[in-house]
Amino acid sequence: EDEFEESFKNKEVVEARKRLLDEWRAWRERCERELERDRKEAGWTPPVAVEGGEETVVE
Amino acid sequence: MRPILLQGHERSLTQIKYGDLLFSTAKDHVVCAWYSANGERLGTYNGHQGALWTVDVDPTTTLLATGAADNTIKLWEVRTGRCLKTWDFPTAVKRVEFSEDATLLLGVTEMRMGHLGTVVVFPINVDVDAEQADEPLFTITFRESKATVAAWSYLNKFIITGHEDGTVSQYDGKTGELIQDIQAHEPDMQITDIQMAPDRTYFITASKDKTAKLIETNTLRILKTYQTDTPLNSAAITAKKDFIILGGGQEARDVTTTIARQGKFEARFFHKIFEDEIGRVRGHFGPLNTVACHPQGTGYASGGEDGYVRVHHFDKPYFDFKYEVEKMAKA
Repeated sequence: EDEFEESFKNKEVVEARKRLLDEWRAWRERCERELERDRKEAGWTPPVAVEGGEETVVE
Repeated sequence: MRPILLQGHERSLTQIKYGDLLFSTAKDHVVCAWYSANGERLGTYNGHQGALWTVDVDPTTTLLATGAADNTIKLWEVRTGRCLKTWDFPTAVKRVEFSEDATLLLGVTEMRMGHLGTVVVFPINVDVDAEQADEPLFTITFRESKATVAAWSYLNKFIITGHEDGTVSQYDGKTGELIQDIQAHEPDMQITDIQMAPDRTYFITASKDKTAKLIETNTLRILKTYQTDTPLNSAAITAKKDFIILGGGQEARDVTTTIARQGKFEARFFHKIFEDEIGRVRGHFGPLNTVACHPQGTGYASGGEDGYVRVHHFDKPYFDFKYEVEKMAKA
């Protein structure tokens, strides 16, 4: 019975985390969309950093 | 994760900025620049007459700004160490920050002896030979609780300030008008740090109330709370991984009969989304005053009351670490 309860709790934890992760990703997507729109309006995008290098490329 | 120890400061660290070059300020009146890959000191920036409280570098690593207890903000040429400009104030400068496009610089000035706390905003020309403006574009003056820290939002839309009384305020980045404020932390518990996420749509605050909060820039909605058992001095958001790093510790004068071991001088890692603590990194002999993440997510650095900077390059297990639900969900 304990084992059953344990696995049930674990399942709850996993489901709660999954919910948090989904919420977070949905919010990030919305943020990124709005930010892109605002940047277009403002006519400014940040310089893109090149991975592993010191150089930056300005668009 | 073997750290590189940067030895060169003689007093406690106040702020670090971590990229391929690492800049550090301390109470010893000196600003240091280091190669973060090997810990070699590139040079120092000399000229301040008091404890340094704050440092920032523009995104192209051309200009460095510093603020100090000698009531000045100084602008430096990173490459040569030449001081390009000094702005004088009636009180100490506790925080400076460039906007993401480096066209603006904000400075937080202290409240003292008949002077209210302010945020000043200067236009910046990212050209080492250009003349810089003498006067600020505008000044925000705090009638109630003074600001201790401040940061720029995306596109310079807002200035976000963190206050001595635990409130967070949002000001218009063009005019300095107050838009809204919230009691983000416990009343009368000082906000000690604000650091923006890479795209500046959200930020993290650290407080003496032992928590850090993740807050949405636009709405000041509190997204996440990270609970610790020690007063916090600094909080940083990692790029690449969904972690946050907190630094703090009981100050020596507050640790009464107990030993230093109980000061809790560790960098604490939390999962940004799940709010769980996932690990700690020891090493400092005093409270951590400042933590900073590399913008590419390759490592982090901490600066302590003990006068040391510890630079950590993340290794493979760090990057591999994932919760089951993160593995299951497609990125």
